Amino acid sequence: MLRLNRSPDRLAKSSEPHLQVQGVTYCYGNTAALTDINLTLYPGERVALIGPSGAGKSTLLKLLNGTLTPTTGTVSVLGVPLADPNPRRRRALQQQIGTVYQQFHLVENLRVIHNVNAGQLGRWPWYQALWSLVWPQGIETARQALARVGLPDKLYSRTDRLSGGEQQRVAIARILVQDPAILLADEPISNLDPARSHEVMTLLTHCGQGKTLIMSLHALEFAQTYCERLVGLREGKIFFDGLVTAITPQQITQLYRLEP
Amino acid sequence: MSVQTVPRSFLLNPLLLLLGVGLFLILSRVEQPWFNPDGWPLLAQFLSASLQPDLSAELLMITVDATLVTLAYAVCGTFLSVLLGLVGGLGSSAIWWELVLPGQKGIWLVLRGLLAIPRGIHEIIWGIFFVNLWGLDPLVAVVAIALPFGAITAKVFSEILDETPRQPLLTLIQSGVSPFVAVVYGLLPQAFLNLLSYGFYRFECSLRSAAVLGIIGAGGLGYQILLSLQSLRYNQLWTFFYALLLLNGTVDLLSALLRRRLGCTPRIALPQGKLRSVRPQGPVLLVVSLGLGLLVPFCFWYIHPDVSKLWAPHTGELLAQLGQSAFPPELTMTTLQQLLPLALQTLGMSVLAILVAGVGGVLLSFPAASNFRRFLGMDAPWGWLFLLGVRGVLLLFRTIPAPIWALVFLFVLFPGILPGALALGIHNLGILGRLMAEGIENLDQRPLQALPGASPLVVFSYGVLPATLPGALAYTLYRWEVCMRETVLVGLVGAGGLGRLLSEQLSSFDYRGMTATLSVLILLTFLVDVLSTQVRNQLRYGINTRKSGIIKGGS
Repeated sequence: MLRLNRSPDRLAKSSEPHLQVQGVTYCYGNTAALTDINLTLYPGERVALIGPSGAGKSTLLKLLNGTLTPTTGTVSVLGVPLADPNPRRRRALQQQIGTVYQQFHLVENLRVIHNVNAGQLGRWPWYQALWSLVWPQGIETARQALARVGLPDKLYSRTDRLSGGEQQRVAIARILVQDPAILLADEPISNLDPARSHEVMTLLTHCGQGKTLIMSLHALEFAQTYCERLVGLREGKIFFDGLVTAITPQQITQLYRLEP
Repeated sequence: MSVQTVPRSFLLNPLLLLLGVGLFLILSRVEQPWFNPDGWPLLAQFLSASLQPDLSAELLMITVDATLVTLAYAVCGTFLSVLLGLVGGLGSSAIWWELVLPGQKGIWLVLRGLLAIPRGIHEIIWGIFFVNLWGLDPLVAVVAIALPFGAITAKVFSEILDETPRQPLLTLIQSGVSPFVAVVYGLLPQAFLNLLSYGFYRFECSLRSAAVLGIIGAGGLGYQILLSLQSLRYNQLWTFFYALLLLNGTVDLLSALLRRRLGCTPRIALPQGKLRSVRPQGPVLLVVSLGLGLLVPFCFWYIHPDVSKLWAPHTGELLAQLGQSAFPPELTMTTLQQLLPLALQTLGMSVLAILVAGVGGVLLSFPAASNFRRFLGMDAPWGWLFLLGVRGVLLLFRTIPAPIWALVFLFVLFPGILPGALALGIHNLGILGRLMAEGIENLDQRPLQALPGASPLVVFSYGVLPATLPGALAYTLYRWEVCMRETVLVGLVGAGGLGRLLSEQLSSFDYRGMTATLSVLILLTFLVDVLSTQVRNQLRYGINTRKSGIIKGGS
């Protein structure tokens, strides 16, 4: 494993890390998907998670948003361990993490506004959330978010009538409304053509301003264009971790090489 | 090469072996003699009355009132059972407990198992129980339907919820939304139409149950039919029959129409656990909610059940008394010796019944499917008449309650398991045949179009049969459990099995013996449930190897 120097100005700020992964190992049954991962992300960083298929990128993201709990080690968000046994506190923490998926995971037979509002459900009391299904709440917030992703007129469309690119933008609007401190994206563009990929990446990096952004990507050129830090994963271990400018083409080739 | 290839035929199916054993059981137990030639004139009289129903104004008034009462029982019963089903369904779903208490695997299994107890007891027994508690109040019929159907609905709802794609829900959970709100946003919208479709189907079942409950004196068409049958007034009887046919036919038609407009998965496809993503056409939802909003209050008003009885102190006292006289169940050697052969008889009865229903259902379902004529190239006008005729027969079969069929068979057959099994078989044939026909109408046409120029027979045997039979078989197996539960019904009117013993114990106030008989019945139902689930899973193996969640339908 090669550890490269982190950008000096961030160290100078010495702010609290947004995300901290300490000695995390995760096993599916007896197979270890990730071994001894250490990773620290500071506010405002844009990190691309790259590596061959099966390296553990998705698993790592699932550990970061609390879908999975590490077998050993801890994941801390904003300085607090994510594995809080108190569901209320854990939910409050999870509201600070937004995730965008390759398959969007929208509720397809609801209207767009409800899918966008899903981002703020965590902040609403339950009766407001239920009432909103009958009489939509937070319309202005939703409209603004949709305008930012370029779908201002789709507020009341049925989600399954939208194209793939539009659905991904609805998913981003949901994150905008959620306004988390940390943004995760799992292969956000692998279902889209190059033009739409650029659109979505621009949106993600724009929304992510001031937030910590970490996304897994297969397309290397996108990683290099839109992110400033690359984390290479190979066989469940961190292979390299450093600024885009510091990673050599040899390291990339090594990361993706076929033979062990 | 000494490897021998044994052809793997469907003949080697465990299901067929099972049916064989059952058939042997029942044939070895048919009483001699079983045929009663003295009953012919009575049967002829009964049948000829079908052409001269009593249409006097007085009787028509009674008929209208009885029809409305039956409808109201069904509407109120369904309404309550869907409410119970929603609460119980979420509470016994795997996904809910994964969200609330992650890592605790057993809870939902235990809860779903507990639902088997109210399910295992037939509506009619609940009816008898509540009559003892509350007297002849409409509340009895409503609760007798709502309780077992609520448990069935809860089970089906929980399975639908578990089979619904859950990623959107999990995404909500990850962003810190509480489980209840996340379920309402992320799971219910996707499951909603399947739940609604099941609700309609449950209503069709409730309507049949509402008629059956008449035989314990709960009023409505079933009660009137029983009265006229016992007083040999066959002309009146047929008026009520026709009213029941009209009511059931209308409801079945409307329900099928609505389910199609809503784009729901046909019930027959559900035992294979395929949930289709659905999209309603037009303002159906609005029409449905308006209709329900008017119908449900009207029905409650029409029968005005005395709801206060539910929490009256008198109810508690009676319940305690009943509990004291019914427990512990009488489980001595003598009762067990009496119960065991009867249990075998009942099992045999259910097997014969489901055999009649399954084979008959498959045979009649093809001519009853509206697209069947196309396969055979029968576009002559008489093709339509033929279709309507077959559908009419199926409607008649399922509309007449099983105990009434049993009484009809008892004209010419001596009491025993044979008339009971035939009655159950005929009644369930009507239900199965219709569901299978619906399945055929919803067939994926593409594989059929891939057989261009093939003769109709080839299209049928290579295109239609393989696509429909697995679903039909799975559903028949499910229906077997329903038949098991319904053996009580025909037992009550004198056909054999545990039901008959139960009715004897009931009339002699032998409550302890009754509890013992009931326990055996629940055990048998449970056994049949496990067996049929096993076989259905085997049928599914290779088609869909996902977890064993299987969607089932009702009674």
